[in-house]
Amino acid sequence: MFQKIRNKKSDASVLSDMVDKQRRYDSLVRALHTDIYRYAFWLCGDKHVAEDITQETFLRAWRALDSLKDDKAAKAWLITILRRENARRFERKQFDYSDVEQEQLEDVFSSSNEDETEQYWLRRQIGKLDIEYREPLLLQLIGGFSGDEIADLLELNKNTVMTRLFRARNQLKDALDSPELRGQSNG
Amino acid sequence: MDDLQFRRQAYGDPNDQSEDFLKHIAESPDDAKLVNDLKNLDNRLNQALNINVPDDLAEKLILRQQLNQHQQHKKRTRYLMAMAASIAFIVGVSFSMLRFTPVDLSEHALAHVYHEAKALSTNQDIGYNDVNFKLASMSGLQQSKFIQQPGRVFYTAYCDFQGVKSLHLVMQDEHGEKVTLFIVPAEKRLKLEEAFADSKYQGQGFKTADAYMILVGEEGSDLNFVKNEIENTFI
Repeated sequence: MFQKIRNKKSDASVLSDMVDKQRRYDSLVRALHTDIYRYAFWLCGDKHVAEDITQETFLRAWRALDSLKDDKAAKAWLITILRRENARRFERKQFDYSDVEQEQLEDVFSSSNEDETEQYWLRRQIGKLDIEYREPLLLQLIGGFSGDEIADLLELNKNTVMTRLFRARNQLKDALDSPELRGQSNG
Repeated sequence: MDDLQFRRQAYGDPNDQSEDFLKHIAESPDDAKLVNDLKNLDNRLNQALNINVPDDLAEKLILRQQLNQHQQHKKRTRYLMAMAASIAFIVGVSFSMLRFTPVDLSEHALAHVYHEAKALSTNQDIGYNDVNFKLASMSGLQQSKFIQQPGRVFYTAYCDFQGVKSLHLVMQDEHGEKVTLFIVPAEKRLKLEEAFADSKYQGQGFKTADAYMILVGEEGSDLNFVKNEIENTFI
């Protein structure tokens, strides 16, 4: 009799743990999938690969969800998983999605009017940035992380991060400020 | 804040809110313009970075997780089923092993005599009706009984021969020596030896219609006498 009550109770609590976990996962997905997908895209430059990486990232996150203690750290946690997942892609890679060849950045953006033409051009410039300059910039702009947090995530010291951010912005600003180059690369 | 440090900071994070940085901007209109330009650049970059996310991505992520969980659940169920099946199998096998392993009656009989020493020191006088009463409650021996008193019976009790309920009697031979008799319902897995002995006791086994009879007495006791007596009184 007691046994029965106890069993019932623990069944119920197991069930509610499951429901809690599911709810937590759902809100994690809804709150962060946009940022994670965008980050993945700018990391690899291909929307299908970005979707794959995002899927893998969230699946791993689900399996390890119990290890995420602080929900505020969720974004950094997911980005860490995503970066590992992206690195794994290179370990087993068959196809060459090299970061250096971002000139072949997929043409997913229509360029019907001038505004969008500029955006298209700017996107190519971002894609052309070396990954080591691009990534801190992505973390700052998409992730909204501070210099210290970026240093933590990339396992660099803060000075290096600031230097890279400087170079990234400098390069983009130069490109924007020199219309000849811009005209050339626009073909 | 010197100029170099300022530029580094401005390019590193134009939205920096540190006091030094804000003060520097307030003091130098040129640098303020630079910071503004950089903020402007950031806005454009942000717009450029905001690529379209597939509409159903969130749903896909949740679906994938649920399929994965479902599969794991199925795997776990299959594992549990396999576990349950193998446990049931082992239980079944060992149960039948237990049931069908041959039991050496003579060995057990001797062990029993040693073990139940008090049986041989008891000096009751039990009537054969009492013995019959006990026999009647044993499976396979409901029909068997003594038709008359088989000499004096000192002791009677149920005992267990490897899961077979049997009857333990102490009787006497011609010269008053105590002889132990075990009545065991006949079962296929029981193995009966006609004669056996160890350093202290000797024994005989024989079969009646429904039961095995095992006699154990000290060396020199006349087991044949008891055997005859039983054959004449037990049906």
